[in-house]
Amino acid sequence: MNLHTLNRSPADSRVYQQTLQAMGHDDQLLLIEDGVQGALPQLVRYFEDVEGRVYALKEDLEARGLLGLCADNVHVVDVDGFIELTEQADKTITWY
Amino acid sequence: MRYGILLLGAPYSRQASHSALRFARALVAKGHILDSVFFYHDGVYNAARLAAPPQDEPHLMDGWKALHDEHGVKLDVCIAAALRRGLLNETEASRHGKEGYSIEAPFALTGLGQLVDLGLRCDRLITFAP
Amino acid sequence: MSKRGFAKEAEEEVRAMNDTQTDLQGDLLVILRHGPHGSSLLREGLDMALVAAAFGRRVSLLFMGTGCTALVSGQGQGPLGQKGTQATLNMLEMYDIETLLVESEAMHALGLKACDLSLPVIEVSPAQIQAAMTTHRLVATF
Repeated sequence: MNLHTLNRSPADSRVYQQTLQAMGHDDQLLLIEDGVQGALPQLVRYFEDVEGRVYALKEDLEARGLLGLCADNVHVVDVDGFIELTEQADKTITWY
Repeated sequence: MRYGILLLGAPYSRQASHSALRFARALVAKGHILDSVFFYHDGVYNAARLAAPPQDEPHLMDGWKALHDEHGVKLDVCIAAALRRGLLNETEASRHGKEGYSIEAPFALTGLGQLVDLGLRCDRLITFAP
Repeated sequence: MSKRGFAKEAEEEVRAMNDTQTDLQGDLLVILRHGPHGSSLLREGLDMALVAAAFGRRVSLLFMGTGCTALVSGQGQGPLGQKGTQATLNMLEMYDIETLLVESEAMHALGLKACDLSLPVIEVSPAQIQAAMTTHRLVATF
């Protein structure tokens, strides 16, 4: 199982399509930096193929005022949760 | 676990350096070993010794130095990427006939072989990108 | 397509994947997502690949998205003599970097065909891309 981090908004960049292609059936996706925009209810649909396996970094949501607007089906984790995800994953692959 | 970090983003231009430094601090706080941070691409600017950010902003370079001093984290800078961008230590500066220098210890100029080794010897390599 | 048709297609995909499985194993997979000239990411990604290969590591390259344009024939220098990456690409074979994977969907989206490219490539599906992520010890994205 691999972890994929994505730091671009799906409203801004198509790199999310490559991320999704590279995700195996039990891989997990962590949205960080500008990528946390993907946790908004209107944008989270781009990640419906991996629903239930989408995480967003709390500090980056908070800093952008987006924490309260985050979709229910996105798991919010802080930096310690980020580290735990990297512990569980064989590899962490970065998309930007 | 033994971790390595690859940092590709320039400080103060992209969030990558802030993300990487916060991750690095949390790693050591959790008891993991952070072996090295490897600075490549625009990430090499993190090593600029003359950086003078305003006092009300986090001082990223000092943050990296503190990780080295307190936790023995190696700070490796890709020499090819650094020289192109005007980041030279004293040895390289004199070799290239330049006055002054822009990188100093604990940041060390090194080759990409170190990055490959780091990736293969650590349990995890985490990249922070622009 | 019928359910049976899907199953057959999936089966063929797995078979095709197994055929290239030996090629897909290695120490380092470098993913290249950027074309030449516009940024230094392609060049710096290729540099990491060459150094790893020079140290005897088995290296594969995976070109994704607009990174597929990195292989288009007929590239030259940029204005002011900006070097580009053609010369580096020509060195890959010498360094035994022969597994060049390209994202099939991106090739289609860009309207590129294998014959437009300067080096022999293997077009890969999402399943093969996922396999490559697990069969390499280290993955780096540029």
